[in-house]
Amino acid sequence: MPRVLLVEDEEHLAAGIRFNLELDGYDVETIADGLRAVERLAPPPEVPTWDAGPAVDLVVLDVMLPGLDGFQIVERMRAAGNYTPVLMLTAKGLPEDVVQGLEAGADDYLPKPFDLPVLLARVRGLIRRRDWARAPAEGAALVRVGAAEVDFANFELRKEGETVRLTLLEAMLLKLLVERRARVVTKAEILEKVWNLNPDTETRAVDNFVMRLRRYLEEDARNPRLLLTVRGVGYRLVAE
Amino acid sequence: MPEVSQLSRSRRPKWHYVAVGVVLIVVAVALTVAWQILAAPESVPSRAVGPARAVAWFFGSLLFLLLIAGLVLIVILLLREVRLNERQSNFVSAVTHELKTPVASLKLYLDTLEYRDVTPDRRAEFYRTMRQDIERLNGTINNVLGAAMYTDRPVADPRPLDLARLARRTVELTVNRYQLPKEAIRYVGPASVRVAGDVRALETAVLNLLDNAVKYSREPVEIEIEVWGDADGQAHVRVRDHGIGMSRTHLPFIFTRFYRIGAEVRRSRTGTGLGLFIVRSIVKGHRGTITVDSPGPDRGSTFTITLPRLLGPEAEGDGASEAAHA
Repeated sequence: MPRVLLVEDEEHLAAGIRFNLELDGYDVETIADGLRAVERLAPPPEVPTWDAGPAVDLVVLDVMLPGLDGFQIVERMRAAGNYTPVLMLTAKGLPEDVVQGLEAGADDYLPKPFDLPVLLARVRGLIRRRDWARAPAEGAALVRVGAAEVDFANFELRKEGETVRLTLLEAMLLKLLVERRARVVTKAEILEKVWNLNPDTETRAVDNFVMRLRRYLEEDARNPRLLLTVRGVGYRLVAE
Repeated sequence: MPEVSQLSRSRRPKWHYVAVGVVLIVVAVALTVAWQILAAPESVPSRAVGPARAVAWFFGSLLFLLLIAGLVLIVILLLREVRLNERQSNFVSAVTHELKTPVASLKLYLDTLEYRDVTPDRRAEFYRTMRQDIERLNGTINNVLGAAMYTDRPVADPRPLDLARLARRTVELTVNRYQLPKEAIRYVGPASVRVAGDVRALETAVLNLLDNAVKYSREPVEIEIEVWGDADGQAHVRVRDHGIGMSRTHLPFIFTRFYRIGAEVRRSRTGTGLGLFIVRSIVKGHRGTITVDSPGPDRGSTFTITLPRLLGPEAEGDGASEAAHA
């Protein structure tokens, strides 16, 4: 049974979401405070992880929280090496807020008020997308991209003896590029498949993530030889 | 992390301009000092000092001083603007949150009732939740409307009313609203203290104070409301809680419109930053004053409203509006 951690301080919303997620067969744990959420999701190194609680498959995270806000929680989670998918819920629904949430490290974003079927679909979708990103690409457990080796099952990228932990979005973007190696992947397609956003959304998020991948993969991120920009269209990973 | 700096930059862009202004002031002061040292009539050999040089030095110094004064003025105005801007954007965040949260909850429960098989017990519980959400929504709407409606202008048609009775009624309303035990709010005071004013407005003011007292209390809630009249013609309502209190630095600002303690994104209490502003407007409209005191964080707060008291035969006439309202 997938385990969902719900971080929401509004009692009514927390109870309603919990009720529905449990009906859909999820094991739900709720936390109403930002600092406690960080203790649970990004425990300090001296705390054994099993003390923090059982592993979580998905975090549903509110932005406005007492103690610490949702953006900071995601940042601390990622900094502590926790790459559990995060679905952010917030009253702020402007496109720039959505982008801000995604750039802070969330994997999906849902403005309040939301439709119940949409929330449940997003939760299912995130767990499914994580499973897709984890599945072996090109039929192999390890995929080679230039000098790097990517282990999608563990969201790890190894290059010259160094290991980089990939976020869900980074892993999915790389996976999409690897699966379509040597062909152009359009920005609209990336937004739709990786970010689950409307393809028309105006955002620099894709460019920023491509830049991050280049920093992991390329010798010189400013003169890419592997992950190329196809001007006005999208991106292409060169054939090996 | 670049993402972090981007976030903070978009939230408070104008502070950079203030910093530029401060740097400019420092540069202007340094230039003035240099000008004073280099161009002062005493600093050059005596034969070169003519009246023209003295005049140039005088006007130059004056210009520098004007420049500095102008810069200081601009920075002060900018600072004010930035603060107001920040409070306003906090207000927009707070109202967005206060309006959207109950709407989101109502929608969630409606969707749940529509799409799920719900037992009658659960259904009753959901209806209760939805009713509370509507109350909250109504409260926020009243707050926003109240801020526009109650101004510092004197009340148009003041009627005699009983402040003690009004206070007891607000206690009842608050106890019901928050489902508190009866002993949570203790009323201390005489049977009647008469003032003149708008009963609805004054009730809103006292309700707002009690509302805050409950919101900022810890369990178990313990609040005293005291009403008394002075022989020198003043009536007082004092609301004291034993809650989270506040540090002295916040005291001068808490009646300012949109002012809330702490960053909005880390909100820990519901509210829009309008409640106390409304209280102050109403009290001012009744030619009264409001004061606040808190010994410090975690040591509770005390709010006192003082109004002109009705004495003599005028106080005997029972306000028709109050009777109708009660």
